[in-house]
Amino acid sequence: MDMNEESSEARKLKCGDTSKCFELLESILDGEVDNSKEMLKEKLAKCQPCFEHFHLEQAIRDVLKNKCTKQAVPNELADSIRRQIQEIK
Amino acid sequence: MSEVQRRKYSQEEKNGIFDGEFMPHIDSMYNFAYRLTFDEDDAKDLVQDTYLKAYRFINSFEKGTNAKAWLFRILKNSFINEYRRKSKQPAKVDYQEVETYYNSDDVDYQSTSDMRADSVKDMLGDEISNALNSLAVDFRTVIILCDLEGFTYEEMSKILDIPIGTVRSRLHRARNLLKEKLQGYAKNMGYNTDEEE
Ligand SMILES: [Zn+2]
Repeated sequence: MDMNEESSEARKLKCGDTSKCFELLESILDGEVDNSKEMLKEKLAKCQPCFEHFHLEQAIRDVLKNKCTKQAVPNELADSIRRQIQEIK
Repeated sequence: MSEVQRRKYSQEEKNGIFDGEFMPHIDSMYNFAYRLTFDEDDAKDLVQDTYLKAYRFINSFEKGTNAKAWLFRILKNSFINEYRRKSKQPAKVDYQEVETYYNSDDVDYQSTSDMRADSVKDMLGDEISNALNSLAVDFRTVIILCDLEGFTYEEMSKILDIPIGTVRSRLHRARNLLKEKLQGYAKNMGYNTDEEE
């Protein structure tokens, strides 16, 4: 999605219903809305608060998904689990 | 889970399910456990206990269904029932956070942050992790499940035993709290958080 490039000149600066819009945008980002592409495109092209909110929310999700430090799983954990399962079999 | 279970799977089938459907999730399980307990040994114990329980109750698992969600639910319940109490580092609960945000599914979806997407993108992994870890456990949990593990609202609702509306509102609040923390970091680091007015 290359919506960063679009000019914001045509966007209105006040959102008609922030609460409803933002809830919808967040659901879309979480993958909970089907066929959201067209609706999303239109919304983001028309409304500056929605546009900004969407990109901030998207950035938050992206950094969480891609940058959140992962803890290395201790090597012996899987073996130790299998050993204990053997004992209760 | 009931103690009395029908015998459904043969020993061979049990082994197949355990190795083929349960064990592949050990990385995610450990990461979840570590972010709940903040302690390597507690996380190991918690994951181990979860797998032992999963094996013991394997007959109540439908082969081919969502094993990851099933395992996460067991882990979450074990954490609440056992580890939360004895944890070396008790879960940091910011009571004000919880009280202010906890009691209703109604959320006003307003923007609470003047943070900019670009300053979020510049953040380091450690900053993100620290901000996430500083959230109260219920808020931390929904973010882990949704953003780190990719569960749907419906799956989260089953894992956490809460309605989907609560999942949605809790997530929204959790992300707002996270934004506040990140914004604090951003200001300290001198990232630009000013609004272009
Ligand atoms: Zn709008």
